[in-house]
Amino acid sequence: MTATSLPPKPAPPDVRVRIRAKRLALYTVLVSVTGLFLGPFGWLILSGLKTQGELAASPVHWLPRAFQWHNFADAFDQIDFLGYARNSLIIALLYATLVTLSSAWVGYGFARLDAPGKKWLFGVLLGSMMLPQMVTLLPTYLIFAKLGMVDTYWPWVLWGLSAAPYLVFLFRQFFASMPRELEEAAIVDGCGYAAIFWRIFLPQSWPVLSTSFIIAFTWTWGDYIAPQLLLSTDRTTLAVAVMTAYVSEAGTPVPELQAAASVMYVVPILLIFLVAQRGFVAGMSTSGLK
Amino acid sequence: MRSHAGAPPSRRRFLALSAGGAMAGASALSGCAMQVSSGVSGSGETVTVMVNSGDILPEQVQQAKKDLGIKILLVKYDITKLIAMLTNGNPPDLVRGVGAVDAPFFAARDVAEELDSYFARSGVLKLDDLDPVNDLWRYDGRTQGKGPRYGMAKDFSQDSMYWYDTAAFDKGGADYPPETEPVTYEEWLDTAKRLVQRKKGQTTVFGGSYGGLTRSTLLATMTVSAGGSLFNDDFSRVDFTTPEARKALAWYIDYCRTKVGPSLIQPDPNGWDGPTYQAGRLAMSNSGYWMGGMIGTDRKLAAVSRLAPAPVFSGGPRISACQGGTGLWMPRGSKNKDAAWRVFEWFFGEEPAKARASGGWGIPTLKSMRSLMPAKEDYQKRVLKVQENELKHFSVVSFTPYSRADAVDALFNQIAPAAMNGQISVDTLAGRLNSAINEQLKRGKEQVG
Repeated sequence: MTATSLPPKPAPPDVRVRIRAKRLALYTVLVSVTGLFLGPFGWLILSGLKTQGELAASPVHWLPRAFQWHNFADAFDQIDFLGYARNSLIIALLYATLVTLSSAWVGYGFARLDAPGKKWLFGVLLGSMMLPQMVTLLPTYLIFAKLGMVDTYWPWVLWGLSAAPYLVFLFRQFFASMPRELEEAAIVDGCGYAAIFWRIFLPQSWPVLSTSFIIAFTWTWGDYIAPQLLLSTDRTTLAVAVMTAYVSEAGTPVPELQAAASVMYVVPILLIFLVAQRGFVAGMSTSGLK
Repeated sequence: MRSHAGAPPSRRRFLALSAGGAMAGASALSGCAMQVSSGVSGSGETVTVMVNSGDILPEQVQQAKKDLGIKILLVKYDITKLIAMLTNGNPPDLVRGVGAVDAPFFAARDVAEELDSYFARSGVLKLDDLDPVNDLWRYDGRTQGKGPRYGMAKDFSQDSMYWYDTAAFDKGGADYPPETEPVTYEEWLDTAKRLVQRKKGQTTVFGGSYGGLTRSTLLATMTVSAGGSLFNDDFSRVDFTTPEARKALAWYIDYCRTKVGPSLIQPDPNGWDGPTYQAGRLAMSNSGYWMGGMIGTDRKLAAVSRLAPAPVFSGGPRISACQGGTGLWMPRGSKNKDAAWRVFEWFFGEEPAKARASGGWGIPTLKSMRSLMPAKEDYQKRVLKVQENELKHFSVVSFTPYSRADAVDALFNQIAPAAMNGQISVDTLAGRLNSAINEQLKRGKEQVG
């Protein structure tokens, strides 16, 4: 290699034009797709800033004549917004923490241990993902009612401890790709399987742990059916309250308040995703799921 | 069990750890979980009431606790949850229901408590003070409107009436409908066709809405209005091919096909008439007196709004039914019937009932509370006069006990759009509706026994 290097040769003009055109096309597509995905959320925000008359107007009023910022304050005041948010947060944290740990534990078993019928059991587990929630709704209620757990948060604890098939699959894929030498070295050093899981596998699983936590948290935060079925009006979650509580005295909907409340309702999910998105993407890619 | 690494397995330890982990997780979080899951009963008695938001307000719950010494636990109305609770033998003590369709359904299944003995000894809800609309909550095992009472309506409207916007009529050059005499359905549709406004194929102003509370109650009511009955004598079958039912069906399909108002093939994004009417985009709204509660909050709207009698079919009887009669019923399995009845009396005969009567969102269901209906302003007096005249034509239109109205509506919604789009004739539609709905009713009858 020579000590001096030549400056990079400039690309010919037609190549530069082509590169620029490609980049322009790429950004156009990206901006369009982003707009497409952000469109509904933007419309929701605008709906939360309009009057009911403007929401019903035709032709459509794209922008409100005067921004009704008070809709957000009214939405906050009309129901016990913080109370319902607290209920949602408790349930979501409870479930997401427990189900992440239990699914990791089960996924570890499927990935690293052998036992007769393991493949069949794994097939059953994956098959259970195809069972619609509606099918199990009434039996679930009856079981929890018999156990005296209706109108309590115990069902979410039990669900959390029972692992979730999709998350088990996620962890199983991730753990299966970890080098076997790590495990063998630990066994030589006298580690049991629980210690290997706890001290070696889990600390190296942050991407998939955060992915699992985000998925489980989002499921529970957004779930309508289970809290609606199992909890009373006082103890229910924000998802149920936002869907049902913004009504006039005559029971007619108040859409502008519902829109404002919906914006506030999705903010925690957006924040969690923004903070943990790097781990989320890494978790999805390293577990072989894309 | 064998590991990939070939080390000796310990199944017992693995299982023990799994169970231990589960217990530890539960224990660690139990404080949090139990804190929010404590029992429901406080001091005094607790009555569980399954209602929609807005039926009983949080401040009314507080007031009830103070006045009655009863804690009301609100549970959001949900039919799946209700069925689950009934199946489990631990139903709510009081449940929201639409008298016009729910009373025969639940009474026939023997899950609703007969309330005659409670009414007989009540000092608040006297039988001679009950408005005839409460007969929607009576069922004698065959016909609605007769026999024991199973519930009561909280307020009501005559749901075939309609409001109209005089500004839209002036703009369209149409004569106002008379306020004491009904127009015919054909005249109503002609007016709607005249008032509808379209731009580039889109409807910007609806000429009128006519959808009833549910399609099934609408068509049952209209068939009676045409002089017939949609159901046979024991309510186990429908027949859309009778001249009267066909007349009602043909009119409704014509209304949808001409797209003068909201329908399955031209839905109103607002979901109900209120915002559309308020925005000046609906010339006539098929809503009864109750929509006056919304109209009264907007002085400009109130000044141009009038209430009109329910239309009739030429040659048919003049009837003006209530398709709702929403109220409460008491499940037979209620564990706390006396306290539930006290809440029932309070809800229908005391402060909440007075507040509803003066709000203008419906006609009170106790005759003694009629004087509380809003009548200060000129437009309120005018509306009240029309409404009082219409009450003379109230009648109960019986509904089948063998299916819920929404299940019948679901079938209608699957089959009818083809006719609304002109792909099949009304006669073909009538035949298909008969087949599908009668199959549903047959299954319902087998369940009831």
